[in-house]
Parts: sequence; C-alpha cells; structure tokens
Amino acid sequence: MPAVRATNLYKVFGRRAPKAVELLSDGRHRDQIKELDVTAAVIDVSFEVEPGEIFVVMGLSGSGKSTLIRMLNGLLPPTSGSVEIDGSDITKLSSRNLRAVRSEKISMVFQHFALFPHRTVLENAAYGLEVRGIAREERHQKAMHALSLVGLGGWENHVPQQLSGGMQQRVGLARALTADTDIILMDEAFSALDPLIRRDMQAQLLELQATLGKTIVFITHDLNEAMRLGDRICVLRDGRVAQIGTAEEILNDPANDYVAQFVEDVDRTRVLTASSVMEPPIPVINPGHGPRAALRTIRENQTTVAFVVQRDRRLVGLVSENAIGEAVRTGAADLNGTVETTIERVHPDTPIAELFQQAATSPYPLAVVDDEGRLVGVIPRITLLAALAPPENGEGEAAQGEQEADPPSEEPPPADEPRTDEQNEEETR
Amino acid sequence: MNAYTWLTPFPPRLPIGDAFEAFNRWLKSNFAPVFDVIGDTISWLVNLLSSFLTEPQAAQLTFIAAGIIAAALVRPHRLPTLITTGVVLALYIGQWLFGLGNLIVNQLPAPLFLWAMGLFGQDYVDANLVIALGFLIALVVIAAVKQTALRRAAVVGGGWLAVILLGWLAFPAVPDLIADSTAMLMVLLLSALALVVAGWKLSLFSVIALTVIVGIGQWENAMSTLSLVLVASLIAVVIAIPIGILAAYNAVVSRIVKPVLDLMQTMPAFVYLIPAIFFFSLGAVPGVVATVIFAMPPGVRLTELGIRQIDKELVEAGEAFGAPTGKILTGIQLPLALSTIMAGVNQVIMLGLSMVVIAGMVGAGGLGSQVYQGISRNDGALGFEGGIAVVILAVFLDRLTAAITSNSPQARAERSAAS
Ligand SMILES: Nc1ncnc2c1ncn2[C@@H]1O[C@H](COP(=O)(O)OP(=O)(O)O)[C@@H](O)[C@H]1O
Ligand SMILES: [Mg+2]
Repeated sequence: MPAVRATNLYKVFGRRAPKAVELLSDGRHRDQIKELDVTAAVIDVSFEVEPGEIFVVMGLSGSGKSTLIRMLNGLLPPTSGSVEIDGSDITKLSSRNLRAVRSEKISMVFQHFALFPHRTVLENAAYGLEVRGIAREERHQKAMHALSLVGLGGWENHVPQQLSGGMQQRVGLARALTADTDIILMDEAFSALDPLIRRDMQAQLLELQATLGKTIVFITHDLNEAMRLGDRICVLRDGRVAQIGTAEEILNDPANDYVAQFVEDVDRTRVLTASSVMEPPIPVINPGHGPRAALRTIRENQTTVAFVVQRDRRLVGLVSENAIGEAVRTGAADLNGTVETTIERVHPDTPIAELFQQAATSPYPLAVVDDEGRLVGVIPRITLLAALAPPENGEGEAAQGEQEADPPSEEPPPADEPRTDEQNEEETR
Repeated sequence: MNAYTWLTPFPPRLPIGDAFEAFNRWLKSNFAPVFDVIGDTISWLVNLLSSFLTEPQAAQLTFIAAGIIAAALVRPHRLPTLITTGVVLALYIGQWLFGLGNLIVNQLPAPLFLWAMGLFGQDYVDANLVIALGFLIALVVIAAVKQTALRRAAVVGGGWLAVILLGWLAFPAVPDLIADSTAMLMVLLLSALALVVAGWKLSLFSVIALTVIVGIGQWENAMSTLSLVLVASLIAVVIAIPIGILAAYNAVVSRIVKPVLDLMQTMPAFVYLIPAIFFFSLGAVPGVVATVIFAMPPGVRLTELGIRQIDKELVEAGEAFGAPTGKILTGIQLPLALSTIMAGVNQVIMLGLSMVVIAGMVGAGGLGSQVYQGISRNDGALGFEGGIAVVILAVFLDRLTAAITSNSPQARAERSAAS
C-alpha cells in the first residue's frame, strides 16, 4: 500500500471552480479557461509515494507545487480528486480526524522555517508532541533526541532568531522528526538557504533518511536538488504532471520537449551514475582459460583488453592483447602472471563526476563492480565523454546499457564540501 | 394650486435624530434591569479602585502582595497554590456573606491579636486583613519549602512589610514633615510599580511628578480620574479584543466592524455623553460608558491587525501539526500579536484619559471637573493645575503600558536575538 496516493487531484481557486475542473479534465490548458476568472493551480495530478521513498515534486514558481503539497495534509481541500494517506482518503475526514492525521501521520517542514519566535528551540521542536498532549518531560526528551540527530545539541535553550538560516531549518526538521510521523512534507525546505549550506542540508537529509526511513515528499524548483534527493521525481508544469520518473529516466528519456529543455543544463555529471552510462562487459574470460583462448576471444571482439571474471562473475582483473601475445609467444600454460589485478574499480552508484580522475589515470576502461565484487559493466573513456552531451530529443544514452533505476540518493557527500564543525560555527554568525 | 403639492421638496427632512431617540427610549424601557446591572457594576468597580488609590487598606495591600507571589508560584506548583487561593477566596466569600472571618477571629485566642492592635493603635481586628495575612504567609511558606520563586517572594514580602511599617508607623510618627502620608505612600507604590515594569527612569519621574500632583492639591482628583480611566480601559479592552479576534478570523465581520469603528472614532466625543446620561443619569457611570465607546476602536483595530500580520506560514505550521484553532489562537497568534495588541491598549488608555476629562462635565468627578470648573468660573489657575495633573497621568500611563509592550514574548525573543 502506498504511503501517499493522489488521484486526479485538482485545485482551482475561484468561484467557478467546478466548471473549470470540467473543462480542464477535457485536456484544456489553464490559459484556455481565462474567461472563467479562476486560477487553476493543480490540474489532474496523480501519483503514488511508496513508504520510505523520497518523492520530489519539481516545477517552476507558480506551477502549483505548494498548492499540491498543502492538499496532501489537508491544509487545502482539493477541488476534486482524492488524497489517500496509508489507504484512507483524507478529503472525506471531519476536521477533528484530519487534525489527528496531521499530528500522527504527516508533519511538515516549511520554506521559511515557520519557527515560533516566542518559543525556544526545544519548545519549537517539541511542538508536535505538545499538540498531541504528550507530557512535558517526555516530549522534551524526544525533542532533545531529534535536535541532536540534526546536529543542534546544545542549542535547545536559544530562541530561533539567534540561529542562522541553516540551523533554523534544522530546527524545522527536528520539529518534524520529533512529531515522529512516518510521512514528512517539505515545501522548498532548502530554497531559502545559501548554496553551500543547502548542499550540506541535502546531504544531512539523505543521511537521516538512510537511518530513519521516512517517507518524504520534497518540493523544489531546483532540478539539481531534485536529482540529488529524489528516488523519483514528478515534474510539474502549469499545474499538470509533465513526467514522473527516476532522475535518470527524466535526464535520459524526457517525456516531452518541456522536460528536455528543463534538464538541458542540469549538471549531468552529478546526477548520472556509473550504472547509467556503463556498457556491457564484453569480452570476459575465465581465469581457467589458456592464453590462446583468451587471445582469440579478444581478437573476435575486436578490442585490446578483456576482463577476467570467475564463474560467479567476480572480477579478478584484466588482460591486455599485448600481455597475452607475449604469454602465447613464451608458451605459458595459463594466464597467471598476465592478469593485471590492480585496475580501477568503481561502484555503480558513483556519480560520473567522480569518474573522470580515475578514467584519466587509467589506460584501460573502468570496471564497474557491485558490492559483492561482481563485474556489472565497463566504462570506456569515450562513453564517459558522450554522457556529458544531453540526449537529442529523447534518444541517446537511453539505449546504452541496462537502465538500472539506481537513484543517486546514496551517493556520499562530495569531497569538495565537507561538513565541519568550523562551518557550523560560521553559520551561527 | 400647484399640481405638485403632494411632492415633498428633495431631500425631505429625515428624522434620524428622532429615530435614535426613540430607539434609546425603547431600549431603556425594555432593558432597564440590564442597564441597572451595568451601571451598578461600573460604579462598584470605580469606587473600589478609587478608594484603594486614595485610602489603601492594609488588607488590600496584603492581598495584592499575596496575589503577586501566587502568580509566580502557580506555574511551578499549580496544585498547592490553587488550593490555597481557593480556600482564601472561599473565606472571603464567607466573610462577605455572613461574617465568617469575624466568627473565626472571635474563636481564636485574644492575645494573638492584642499585641498587633496595640502596635497599630487599632481597637478592632479586621477579618479581611487576617485572611489576607494568612494567604500571604501560606504562599511565602510554599515558596520557602519548594525553593522556587524565593527571590520574588522575599522582595514582595519585604516590600509589603516596608509599606505597612511606613504607612502605619513611620508616616504618622512625623506628621509635621509629611502632610498627606497616604498620598505619599501611594506615590511610592506607583513608583515601585514603574520601577518593576519600566525601570528606574520612569520610577524617578513618577516619584517627582506624582509628588507634584500631591503638591498642587489634586491628588484625590487625579486618583479618581485614574480609576475612571482604568475601569473604562479595562472594559473597552475586554470588549475590543474578542471583536478584534473575530474580525481577524472573518472577513465579513471585519468589513462590518470597520465602518462602525470609524463612526465611533469620528463622532464628536461630547455626543456620547447625551445618551450615556439618558441611560445612566449623571455621575461616574455615564462618563465611563462614554469613555468605553470612544476609546475602544484602536483596541479592536490593533488586535485585528496584530493577528492578521502574523506570518501565514506560522499559522500553517500550527495547523500542519494538528493544532486546533483555539490552541493556534492562544499559543501562536495572541502571543505574537501581543505587542501590537498592547500598542492598542496603550491607545485605548490615552483616548480614555482624554475622554474622562470631558466626562467631568457630566459629573464624573476627578480632574475633568476641575478643568471644567476652571472654565466655568474663569479660574485659570485651577484649570491649569488640573491640566498639569492630566498631563502627568498621561505620561505615566503611556510609558508604563509602552514598557509592558516591550516585555511581550515576541519583543523578548527579538532582544535576546540581538544580544
Ligand atoms: N489562495 C490562493 N488563491 C488564489 N490563487 C492562489 C492561491 N494560492 C495559490 N494560488 C495560485 O496558484 C498558482 C500556484 O501557486 P503555488 O502552488 O504557490 O505555486 P508554487 O509553489 O509552485 O510556486 C499560482 O498562480 C498562485 O498565484
Ligand atoms: Mg511554493
């Protein structure tokens, strides 16, 4: 059962909303119903968010993102359509039951933090539990735990205005975590932060997500952020869904020109991972083969190297045409001594931005190796360069390799932006 | 004969004034008991306050001291504090209804009181004072046992002791030096209030300026005016804030309230006096009623503004975590609107002061009647002295409420952020 399911959601502001929904459901663009004097903010949006997923809704300003996310917790009632949380339709709940759902199942993080200025950091973080009527001791203890999770231990007795933007948003995050709901809605939660702090927060969110396994609906207008965080991304355009898919699907297989244009200048090297550009590992040879057999395999495939893998596809190393030719000439019985075992290995989830260095120093294609040490693909240098060019109208690299739907979400924070205590100190100034 | 005689000239004479009169008469004849209750309550409040301000009783001072300590204790030790307060209130009601306190005092051994009676030169025991003393002592004991709010209890208790000793021992001992000892005691008390709320500058001003009022012989009038203003402002605020909240929540209410407030504020102040006298006859009550109507609008407006100007995201945050409307109002909107609301209260008090002077014309008493007498007898000196006293009161009240405003949670948070 999906954690969140939106079905044919519409939100139209204005008196003649029902009429507008009727016209819009026939496929009209929102500019075509100007005469009704309504604002169609969200039009026929359907999606499902699985438990534990980070689902990103991305679109330009005014595309209806905030309106959409506010319908997910009932802050705005939809004009038409339904929202199901854990299988129950919240659009049909009484206001009392709706409040119960909000305090027990969904919490929210806001663009401008929305911290209560007259409460301390601790009281802010404990707010959700206070509303639920949890005793003071217990809620403060849980709030302290959440604050330490987001790295704000020791700040609990300050008031929000004493904190920098990044720290304030961590309080916002701690408030959502303390409420201990399975679902967290984040409306442009990092958009008001400086780029460096923003990256920092993204990394922290991914880290937290890896341990806590929340279901997160994350709103952003920043494609790079969407690509970095989202297990799946929903691109909104003028209130309608333009495409829903993984970062790679959207990059490599844009559903239409709009999405294609949108993703044109995304930093592809940070979004695409080794698995999305790698090629099938051909040819491979078995370590039991003799040099002659190996040489034949290499020649048949018209290459200069072959990867040596065991029967269970675990990578042993690589042999080059030259080395084997030498071995054949000296009449060696097996490949021992010919196999280079110190070749570059990369994980399928590594962003390709981090592959260039290795590719540049290695004379051979990079071997893509999974957690068990099995060879899953190879990346010749030329492929790496080709990946940088945007696909031409929806084709391109999509054809290459198997499209593993591996999100970039588990990538470690890039080395150029270490989170140090020093930096945190600076944020407070 | 002209064929058009059945036509009245345009515009016809509209009987708006008469309609208003008729409406008032209808109101009075149908709701006379309501107006009686309102009038009695107002005059009871005004008398209570002005008698306290001019002749403070030991029982009243003791009760106030106990009240301050109770307020400090009620959060950390809800139960014992509430029980004590409840018992005391029950005793007071018993005393008020059938002299319960006197009964109890009579049961207690006489030597317990003889010493105190001798010390203060009293020939009877005031049961109210005994109850208040018991209240104060109980709370000080709670504070001492629980080790909380000890400092506050000590300061208030010590201050109370000093006041009693000053008022009943020191001042009478030097009658040649201090002419009006109760007035000077009150000057010191008000200055102490200023010290606590607004700091030493206003406190110093109060000592000097209020002594000037005593010196020009306007103390009683000033205190009478002060009690009129405070009662009128209290009523105005109690009515204004809920209306302001409604107007902030509901666009229709807001649209209806706005023109009504405009009308109330622009109508010449004197006009309110006429129906007020009609309903409540001469005296303090019509003055207070007219003042309430005249002074209320900024209270409503600034309450509405204060709530409306709160960041929408903050209210949404409350909603998003499932808080019910009441909790959002009391936990988010009112605290954050407090400084704006207090600015409104400040304006209510200032308008109230200006109106109370006008109300002197209908026999509300106080400084207003002094000024009015000055005008009618062409007595410039009297008018000027009354005016000076009004100005001093105005400054005192303005700075005091302004200081309360800057003590609001929002302002405190901002200040600590700046530090
Ligand atoms: N309460 C409202 N009344 C009327 N129009 C609104 C309201 N809220 C949002 N809109 C309109 O809906 C559209 C989508 O807004 P929003 O959801 O805030 O977009 P985004 O968050 O993507 O920037 C905008 O055109 C906005 O003006
Ligand atoms: Mg938005």
